[in-house]
Amino acid sequence: MGAASIKVLVTKIGLDGHDRGSRLVGAYLRDAGMEVVYTPPWQEIDAVVNLATQEDVDLVGVSSLATDHLIIPDLMAALKEAGLEHVEVIVGGIVPESEHQMLFDSGVAEIFGPGSSREDIVASAVKLGNAAQQRKLSSEEFSR
Amino acid sequence: MGAVAQQAAPAFDRLLAGDQALLARAISIIEAGGAAADGLAQRLCDHAGRADVLAVTGPPGAGKSTLIDAMIAKFRAQGTMVAVLAVDPSSPLSGGAILGDRTRMGQHSADRGVFIRSIAARGHLGGLALTVPAILDALDAAGWPIIILETVGAGQSETEVADFADVKIVVNAPGLGDDVQAIKAGILEIADILVVNKADQPLAKRTVNQLKDMLELRAENKRDVPIVSTAANKGEGLETLMDTVSQSLAAIASRSAEDKISRRLSGALLRRADSILKQRLRAIDDERLGSLCADIRNGNQTLDDAAKILLSQELRWRVE
Amino acid sequence: MIAKQALASWDEKPKQMMLPGFEEAEEAWKETYQAHIGTDRRITNRSGIEIKPIYTPEDWSDERYMADLGFPGQEPYTRGIYPTMHRGRTWTQRQLIGLGTPQDYNERVRKILDLGANAISLLPCNSGFRGVDCDEVPFPLLGTCGTVINTVDHMDAALDGVPIDRISTAMNDPTPFTLLAFVLGVAKRRNVPFDKVSGTSNQSDYISHYVANHMFYRLSQPGARRVLVDHVAYCREHLPNWNPVSVVGQHMQQAGATPAETIGFTLSTAIQYAEDCMARGMDPDDILPKFTFFFDISISFFEEVAKFRAARRIWARITKERLGAKDPRSWRFKFHGQTSGVDLTSQQPLNNIARVAVQAVAGIFSGLQSMHTDAYDEAITCPTEETARIAVATQNILREEAHLCDVIDPMGGSYYVETLTNQMEKEILEVLDKIDAAGGMYEAVGAGLVQSMIGRSALAAQQRIETGEEKVVGVNCYQSNDDGIEQPKPYRPDPETMKVHVEQFKQFKADRSQAEVDKALAALRRAANDDNDNTFAKVVEGVEVGVTHGEVVAALRDELGFGHPLIVD
Repeated sequence: MGAASIKVLVTKIGLDGHDRGSRLVGAYLRDAGMEVVYTPPWQEIDAVVNLATQEDVDLVGVSSLATDHLIIPDLMAALKEAGLEHVEVIVGGIVPESEHQMLFDSGVAEIFGPGSSREDIVASAVKLGNAAQQRKLSSEEFSR
Repeated sequence: MGAVAQQAAPAFDRLLAGDQALLARAISIIEAGGAAADGLAQRLCDHAGRADVLAVTGPPGAGKSTLIDAMIAKFRAQGTMVAVLAVDPSSPLSGGAILGDRTRMGQHSADRGVFIRSIAARGHLGGLALTVPAILDALDAAGWPIIILETVGAGQSETEVADFADVKIVVNAPGLGDDVQAIKAGILEIADILVVNKADQPLAKRTVNQLKDMLELRAENKRDVPIVSTAANKGEGLETLMDTVSQSLAAIASRSAEDKISRRLSGALLRRADSILKQRLRAIDDERLGSLCADIRNGNQTLDDAAKILLSQELRWRVE
Repeated sequence: MIAKQALASWDEKPKQMMLPGFEEAEEAWKETYQAHIGTDRRITNRSGIEIKPIYTPEDWSDERYMADLGFPGQEPYTRGIYPTMHRGRTWTQRQLIGLGTPQDYNERVRKILDLGANAISLLPCNSGFRGVDCDEVPFPLLGTCGTVINTVDHMDAALDGVPIDRISTAMNDPTPFTLLAFVLGVAKRRNVPFDKVSGTSNQSDYISHYVANHMFYRLSQPGARRVLVDHVAYCREHLPNWNPVSVVGQHMQQAGATPAETIGFTLSTAIQYAEDCMARGMDPDDILPKFTFFFDISISFFEEVAKFRAARRIWARITKERLGAKDPRSWRFKFHGQTSGVDLTSQQPLNNIARVAVQAVAGIFSGLQSMHTDAYDEAITCPTEETARIAVATQNILREEAHLCDVIDPMGGSYYVETLTNQMEKEILEVLDKIDAAGGMYEAVGAGLVQSMIGRSALAAQQRIETGEEKVVGVNCYQSNDDGIEQPKPYRPDPETMKVHVEQFKQFKADRSQAEVDKALAALRRAANDDNDNTFAKVVEGVEVGVTHGEVVAALRDELGFGHPLIVD
């Protein structure tokens, strides 16, 4: 499986509005062949969960350039609550090293800091996206 | 198998009972196409036929998303649940897509009474018309009473999609170049309701008049299309639009579930056939084309006859 | 029209010089240069201008001195807007700070003043930028990026012991300027007359927020336009020492615009605001002296110097010829420079001290009026006390030790810098022409032109880094996973004090006179619907009776519409 069947939500939660990074990553993933659902900044956590549910995404990419990563654990909990354990979450932007573990503990799969290469980001998205799809409900389940 | 699969009731039943995650999953399966998609679509048919589908179509920049956003707010105020299927043209170069429309309806993102799904036009020979009917059935079967189908109305495939709707709303706005010309080709013809959005802009009156003139030129029984002016960003004209929509829906209220299902299904069938045929025609090798071309040049066949020969050969193949 | 005239004057090459031996020497150099360098690499700056290996009187000569340079404080203002420049009075040292509760801020601001800063600034919490009060946002985010200030009381605590009649205060305060309203509330309490209050409404430029960084209250664009003109009108009448307009190039450049595009967009925006004010009947000479600019200083050293010198020249011509200003004070391009955070890296963070120093020198040589130097951890967090101290010290060292301020416009006359200044001017004028052709900045932004230009430049800049054409130490060269330095620990406000702050705010709301608040908000709503009224005057009156920041914004959003960021893919 390649990038083509992967659907990813690129979003920003919290209060910061700087979206250069999220737009750039959105374009990277689109150019790699993925379907990208892109949102402007300031999404509420409930809205992100709704989006991820209704759009049936495999991946959620959250950009945080200020301190909005501090509420990502809340997002992770809300995704679990909604039964979206199979969805992988990647965080991009500026996250101080001392706060990485807190995000990993909450279930975040990867953190990409400034200067990460396009190749690394795409490769990770493909790997995690494919893994997420493996865990999704298959079409056979609907014919039971 | 995910954890979801191990729950007691079968997935299909839970979809019918309103599980949004399973509905979303089913739509993905339909989008992916193939035998699994057809099988699922067939089962969904049995449970569809209740929803009213409103197509909202028009050129880029007409303010469709803002209008739909305002319509959603009206439906929600009435306590009606609304699903939106946003058809998004994707970049043909990259193969990927940024599904942008979803984000412009952001005000309802956190409302569980609104289900918004965007689908990309990529990857399907024959376009979205192949998958949209079954996706409508899925939303319908899952109990969404109103489905708004948003299309760009730019290409053939997008306008065709609107054919699956019960009420077709064509949106235009002043200042989009040669206004009415932009939508004249084809999609004006399908409109049950014409909307001039951004009616607060200076040239809006002119656009309304152009549309009126255009209706005058039609056959007498086709002139009676309501024109509604809106400024969706300010909420103006929305009441009138909603009333007009209700009237159109009342006019087709007698349509049976069976009728709705078969309209979608027959459309799907024709488009599937069309798609298969196109695929076959594209696969014809140069040698066969070459010999027919030679016949045309020699005067042994007319172009028209040669095309029919080609077609009959292909159809014979199909039957065999 | 301005563009055409200026362009014509560059097309003339300097006349053949009578320098004995020049041509022979040049030929000889070319030969040896070619022999030694082999294949020369093509170098272009961030604005896309090709850079030659050497510049000589063939590129720029003294014959152009009066046309291109003149003297500081005189047209064409290339060398500076004042006769004395930094030799007389150096730049205002204005560190942007904002963190935690008003008390946290106050503690920090007093330390910065003790260290030698002679002006202060205030960066509000991002919840403020979003137009909501502290009781409406996720608690963990409060005060992590700026100070939580929602009322006059909060401002009073933040400025405790700060003499606001003597220290100028720049507020990062986009529409509808509640922070200034809070300052005026404090001034009244302290019996400071309004004409003693000095400073700037930093970032009052709503257009830059719409297109570039989206840190704004999301009033609709027409609403934001109206509120800004109200603000200018109010300040003109009541606050002679306040600069109501700060046109921001920083957001554009941070979002990816090239330095030349940045100046082009910013000046186009300034023209738009001036014309909007003039349409309201204001005299250009009444308002233009109060226009200020806010820019990033990137690490592309010579390009930045040329950028600002060219901008000064163009703005003087625009104000005089296009906007019809007659007072020389209207022609002066006054700008605040902030060393660019985009150039800083989270890898090997101490390296950022060197970067900031280079950026700051570029800013000083550009003749800026006030400066903020970034702390080295700014790429990672809101600066800590120690990193903020080093940032201030960097300015002190450059000002006191390095003899950078002895001579005015020390880069002036350099063949390279003068040529580059002219080339940058040409690039900038082309951008201005493009925006004019689109019907001005307001229209160009509405049509997505500016956003798509920025988007393209951002992608190109990213590609330059990815291909290694643009080097970033520690990122695409000299990488090291183990630089032996621990990342600085990020600043996080004390949750206990913040909790108290939020509780006190809730109590404040419960205790104030709701009748008076309702009355003030009703007056604000009426003003929003009456073009002859002034919304900002009503904000000032409202906050005095306890109306909060979030309430002001909510009322205006209701009346003037909700605005989406203007995004173009």
